Amino acid sequence: MNWVKLSRGDTVVWLLAVALLVSLYTMFWQNDGHGAEAVVMLNGKRWARLDLFQDQDLNVPGPLGHSHIQVRDGQVHFADSPCPNKLCVHTGWLSQGGEVAVCLPNKVSLQILGSDPRFDAINF
Amino acid sequence: MSHTIQTTRDDYLIAGFAALAITIHIAESALPSPLPGIKPGLANVVTLIVLCRYGWRMAAWVSLLRVLVGSILIGTFLSPTFFLSAAGALASVTVLGLLFAISHALPGWAVGPMGYGIAAALAHMSGQFWVAYMVFVPHSGLLTLYPLLMTLAAVLGIVSGLLTRTVLTRLNSAPSDSNPV
Repeated sequence: MNWVKLSRGDTVVWLLAVALLVSLYTMFWQNDGHGAEAVVMLNGKRWARLDLFQDQDLNVPGPLGHSHIQVRDGQVHFADSPCPNKLCVHTGWLSQGGEVAVCLPNKVSLQILGSDPRFDAINF
Repeated sequence: MSHTIQTTRDDYLIAGFAALAITIHIAESALPSPLPGIKPGLANVVTLIVLCRYGWRMAAWVSLLRVLVGSILIGTFLSPTFFLSAAGALASVTVLGLLFAISHALPGWAVGPMGYGIAAALAHMSGQFWVAYMVFVPHSGLLTLYPLLMTLAAVLGIVSGLLTRTVLTRLNSAPSDSNPV
């Protein structure tokens, strides 16, 4: 490494530059749009707002019975539902901003709030 | 009424080096670039040489004259390209001024061409990036590019530092510096 002969001052500048680059990558590339909060709607109205980093279980009283919503490690899903086809349960775990799980029969929906949603719109 | 402007040796040096930098700047603008904002920055080598040999004040003159006159000659004066370039040049001149002052206050920790090169390139990229982001394309998607652009800037800064050092060594071993103009 004879061609990079650095003075003491140069070494300091290079170390600062490396530190700057590392911090830039962590600042701008770590944030992958992971949501921190979810909102539960019942019958078209906001029923609860969930912090995804606080594990909890929730029973939402819909017209058919209780929809069981579970929050674990920054993710949330319908654990159980009284509806016939269980589409909401099969949607699985949600974690990205903008992701949605809906139970139409029981009129419960679940959506992750995110500043940077992964999709602009979803169409079925 | 005749009026003569007193010119100093520094004025001639600034004019000469600025002319050199402008020439390189224009030649470089003809090169195709894979990404907007990415250029080898060879004109900056002239700024760094002037900084190491004649100090910060002259380097600032050369750098800012280069951006101004270069843009007029290319035809980008007052266009977005010009503002990006000017923001980059201002940022890098500021950072170089800081490092230059530190080098003079603490000679044991003096920064050389390799340090100046990478610092100038990173400052230049930051300056133009933030103007681009704040003024021209305020979309958060642009931020994803920032670390990548800065990495490229660091690499190009190292290259310009190496070039500067090579040229300085040759200049210092040249027979005479008594008649530089």
